[in-house]
Amino acid sequence: MKTQSFFIKAALACSVLIGLNSPAFAQEPPVRIGYSMSDTGPFAMASQEQINVYNMWKDEVNARGGLDVAGKKRPVEFVEYDNQSKPDQSVRIYEKLITNDKVDLLLAPWGTPFQISLAPVLEKYKFPVVGNTAASVAVRQMHAHYIWFPTSAVPDKMAVALTEMMKKNNVKTAAVISNILPFTKEIKNYLDPQLKKAGITVKYETEYPPSIKDMTSIVTQVKNAKPDAVLVLSYPSDSILFEKQASEIGISSPFQFVAVGPSTAAFRQAVGKAANGTVTLGHWSPDRPEWKGAKAFYDDYVARYKYEPDYLNAPLAYMSLQILEQAVAKVGLDKEKLRQTISTDTFDTIDGKVKFEGVENVITPTAFLQIQNGKLQIVWPESIATSQFQPKTHP
Amino acid sequence: MSFIEVLSSSQILFAALLTGAIYAIVAVGLNMVYGTMRLLNVAHGDIVMIGAYAAYWLFTQLGIPPVASMFVVAIFCALIGAALYKLLLKKMLARPGDVPHLEARSLLLFFGLSLLIQNLVVSLQTATPRAYQYMDHVYRISNLAMTGNRLLALLVAFFLCLAIAAFLRWNIFGLALRAVIERTDAARIVGVDVERVHLISLVIGFGAAGVAGVLLSMMEQFSPFMGFSLTIAAFIVVILGGLGNIAGGFAAAMILGAIETYGVALTSPNMRSILIYGVFVLALILLPKGLFHKRFKK
Repeated sequence: MKTQSFFIKAALACSVLIGLNSPAFAQEPPVRIGYSMSDTGPFAMASQEQINVYNMWKDEVNARGGLDVAGKKRPVEFVEYDNQSKPDQSVRIYEKLITNDKVDLLLAPWGTPFQISLAPVLEKYKFPVVGNTAASVAVRQMHAHYIWFPTSAVPDKMAVALTEMMKKNNVKTAAVISNILPFTKEIKNYLDPQLKKAGITVKYETEYPPSIKDMTSIVTQVKNAKPDAVLVLSYPSDSILFEKQASEIGISSPFQFVAVGPSTAAFRQAVGKAANGTVTLGHWSPDRPEWKGAKAFYDDYVARYKYEPDYLNAPLAYMSLQILEQAVAKVGLDKEKLRQTISTDTFDTIDGKVKFEGVENVITPTAFLQIQNGKLQIVWPESIATSQFQPKTHP
Repeated sequence: MSFIEVLSSSQILFAALLTGAIYAIVAVGLNMVYGTMRLLNVAHGDIVMIGAYAAYWLFTQLGIPPVASMFVVAIFCALIGAALYKLLLKKMLARPGDVPHLEARSLLLFFGLSLLIQNLVVSLQTATPRAYQYMDHVYRISNLAMTGNRLLALLVAFFLCLAIAAFLRWNIFGLALRAVIERTDAARIVGVDVERVHLISLVIGFGAAGVAGVLLSMMEQFSPFMGFSLTIAAFIVVILGGLGNIAGGFAAAMILGAIETYGVALTSPNMRSILIYGVFVLALILLPKGLFHKRFKK
């Protein structure tokens, strides 16, 4: 008898202790958030920053006591599947997440082709998703109602802004070299007529395949053409290749634009001082105090991953999470109410205010970054600039 | 660029030599392993990748510069080769079966190994592409500009090729290795320790691949998936030069480097793959035993 009562007391004491130690949201069921990601395959490298940001956000939210679901805090749980870098596989996974796993919310996969192929699934199941790392004129043309894109780096608008920025900096001649992959090809298609309209003469142009391993002949010809501006429409690995060989052979054009890559820490680590002066795509900076949380996002990312976030994809992924979080806090998990809120409200993000008209963010302007003393600064447009454009000098 | 400008450009010559030299040291290991054991090592490019990652970590974490770490990395990759032989290949080679069977089995084995290595590196290091800066001072000799790391890569690759050629020409083990490539059974009869030759070819081949990885890591961005395209390039070199023909492989690598660099300069960068694979297909049709088959036939 005595032992029995001892055990009962001990059990009671234990349960009280467990109760004291467990977080406040222990009673609330978790919000299950599903997504598919290119964990393996050719896009595994490119989707890394987005995975990092998703994981960081989840831990942050749980540390804050959970996700605010219309006033009630609930812990966040991810349901994640690898799409092997195949858009069709990704589509099947999202169908499964919706119909079989019955997740509460969805996050976007990495990249334009994946987010475009996701749109019809979302229409079918009336499930809203805030997109992020997709930028193409095609997203505007598909008239989707359940996906939105916070990016402002859409090729047609970018071509206009880049040409305007060049004119402002007295560019009269240019060399254009472009990778034949879809995003850079799209930029080139919109850029060509803009350059013509602005009276900028293209002295040299060529295309190259993504498998390129040596740019000696391209860079030599760019050097010989002596243009005011070099526009390199490239992807991350060929961006590094170009920059290294350009500094080896010595290109002295004062305006050098390299499309995708320079916004990553890996680029600056690989190229070092030669990267200074390079202009690239991007509309975010941790140094605009009115963008609440921008600096904290930067600091947390660096503390957690030990390198700087990509100024393009990482903030975009985080913006999509912030928009979703704010919408859920307001209306809860009801899909139709979420769709309504996301398509009409204005959201506060680490990249300033965001408001969607159709699928597009109409507040964030198309902007460009420049590497100055190893640091990325917004140099265009003036309304959000953190520094002035500086002509590139060849060491 | 005009034809004359391209041909007289020292910058393009430098690029061609460098591309060729890297191909040569990547391909030599593939060639030796095939030559001595008839094993098709499709995971060869992944050994290069391991070399690149090893150099990256030794440099960024421990501060050991690639010029020193290449020796450590070569030994490390050579040990991988030795371990692979002792644990997997020795048993497979001992099993009865003819050459086509062995080739098929080895293809499957190495394909699996390639996936295993790539995903192991992804899970250990993430898929984030890596790069670092090392010796990027630019040296100029009249019109020719060379970054220190590219110059170093060219010198090391050439030296390694010469060293391997000398080893095969004058060293007793090198001679045995060539004997095994040419006539395995005859070599065995005259007392060559064939198993030891197998081990040596793996050790040298993997060591050279490791060095190639170190050199590439100084010059370009790399990821766990960099190996595949190198394996393909190495296969082209080996087939052009003749399977198992080491000297022919060196020559074929330089030819491929030249075709790639000069071809692109004279036409367009979009022609790169067409040129490389075009030459490859032509060679297969016209000279199926490699460019140097007759010269080296005894």
